Amino acid sequence: MDFVITIVEQGLIYGILALGVYITYKILDFPDLTTDGSFPLGAAVTAALITKGANPYLTLLAAFAAGALAGVCTGLIHVKGKVRDLLSGIIMMTALWTINLRIAGTSNVPLFSKETIFKNSFLENLIPESIQSYTTLIVVIILTVITKLILDFYMNSRSGFLLRAVGDNDKLVTALAKDEGNMKILGLAIANGLIALSGCIFCQEERVFEISMGTGAVVIGLASVIIGTSLFRGFTFMKATAAVILGSILYKACTAIAMRNFEPQDMKFITAALFLIVLLISMERKKKVKIDA
Amino acid sequence: MKTKTTAKVFGAAFLTMALAAGTVTVHAEEEQYTIGIEQFAEHGSLDNCRKGFLEGLKEEGIEEGKNLTVDYKNAASDMGTCGQISDSFVSDKVDLAVGIATPSAQSLYNAAMDTDIPVIYTAVTDPLAAELVDEDGNPVGEVTGTSDKLPVKQQLEMIREILPDAKTIGILYTTSEANSESSIKEYEALAGDYGFTIETAGITTTADISLAAQSLLEKVDCLTNLTDNTVVASLPTILEMANEQNIPVFGSEIEQVKIGCLAAEGLDYIELGKQTGKMAAKVLKGEAKASELPYETIEEAALYINESVAENLGIEIPEDMTSSAAEVFDEITEYTVEE
Repeated sequence: MDFVITIVEQGLIYGILALGVYITYKILDFPDLTTDGSFPLGAAVTAALITKGANPYLTLLAAFAAGALAGVCTGLIHVKGKVRDLLSGIIMMTALWTINLRIAGTSNVPLFSKETIFKNSFLENLIPESIQSYTTLIVVIILTVITKLILDFYMNSRSGFLLRAVGDNDKLVTALAKDEGNMKILGLAIANGLIALSGCIFCQEERVFEISMGTGAVVIGLASVIIGTSLFRGFTFMKATAAVILGSILYKACTAIAMRNFEPQDMKFITAALFLIVLLISMERKKKVKIDA
Repeated sequence: MKTKTTAKVFGAAFLTMALAAGTVTVHAEEEQYTIGIEQFAEHGSLDNCRKGFLEGLKEEGIEEGKNLTVDYKNAASDMGTCGQISDSFVSDKVDLAVGIATPSAQSLYNAAMDTDIPVIYTAVTDPLAAELVDEDGNPVGEVTGTSDKLPVKQQLEMIREILPDAKTIGILYTTSEANSESSIKEYEALAGDYGFTIETAGITTTADISLAAQSLLEKVDCLTNLTDNTVVASLPTILEMANEQNIPVFGSEIEQVKIGCLAAEGLDYIELGKQTGKMAAKVLKGEAKASELPYETIEEAALYINESVAENLGIEIPEDMTSSAAEVFDEITEYTVEE
């Protein structure tokens, strides 16, 4: 049971990251490597604020804002500087390593003795003793569901509609007298804001900031998006955002199971293999259809 | 239609994996102990910690294969993997979890905090900075172990004795390793007392080693190593570059001197591991709770010298040093990663 709870917790936390990657990869068609830097950026901001005694719930907003700013930078490099999408992300990812170190002050910031969104006097009074051990799970579920609902709401707004149009039909955006570049920057800002938010929650769940925690974040995000959107494609009643979050839980389940049966040294290879398999059975076929059409 | 089939195939594959996972069970019979060891990275010093740890347990009558089951996992320097390993130990309900190196120790402590699984750590340079002990040096919970804090003062004394004219000591470190940062602070604070200045070069990945080492070597009279995981793993590269320019490199522990560092006032990680193993035995046998055992360090640094390296560099090691050394090597061992 603990095993399953851990997977769901981690899957939901990374589900928020996957929502961000969904925006860049699926909606904007932008392979955004900023992710590897904005995930720990959220954590760095969180660690710095919590150490300074800030309210842990405030860090959620601060991390989102910091991530959004990083996304804006990637967008500006790409749109205004006309740098290729992949390179823009790599540039920001590299710069963020230093920025994250500067924000956190050092490469490893433990938060064991601090109040976090999962452990504070307010929650201890609020949640009855009997289900106290599920606090983390409850908080993660609430945060992820709220984030998902806000994102759904946004996607159905006028701005969200235009954002969805950028990846599919950029001429429509231009026809509506909206600048396609600005929409891209906005999309990157929201995406990286979500990714940083995910980093913020992860850092408080693990109760430590570690500079290397972002390594491979983009892979986890992409895999979750691809698993989610391809596995649940048939379920029309299900929104893409829900599919992506479920994809993240499934992905975490796969890695947790793989970890029990294989050596940790092999994990990266298994991750890559899993990733490739899902890509082969979903994406390539979609491309082919496009060519045929 | 096809996509539906593939989705089914994928689902089936997933189910198979899930079933396979269910078959892994851990048996805990009477007086049988199960421990989980999580090691942050793969390198000589940490491997020695683990080896020493198991030896320490064995000396206390807890032996792998007899009354001890060891689940050993290596996080391959990845924080996410650390978290997953820690959670799997907790859900397997091991009797004791062992964290080798700071991130693993922190991750295990975090995962086990609300359970009754004690955590024993080793190779944590600064347990205070890692928040594993409070300001008075007492454990913050059911977590204790040993620190591999470097004997910086002795190391500086030794360098002064071997190189009377040296002015600048270079240190290569990884910006992502908190252990290295706290060691450098100590070096910078003490260097002046021995007439040295410290030059540092920070790297982010192994790929930066050559460039950083090159620029550092131009500015210094010698190099000294910390217990920095990334740098130690690339030591052979650094030694080769330093040797070309006839610049001595001082180590921080026995393994480094074996593979070509001139000398070290350092740690013996096997001994450190043994000491940790004995602490773990006390906790396993119920003689003491982890929270009752203050963390330990190796009190006496041991001097290691490699005469073959000294000869290559044309450096004369004072007689009284070689006679007081814990171990003097007369050959350079090929660098290997031990399993």
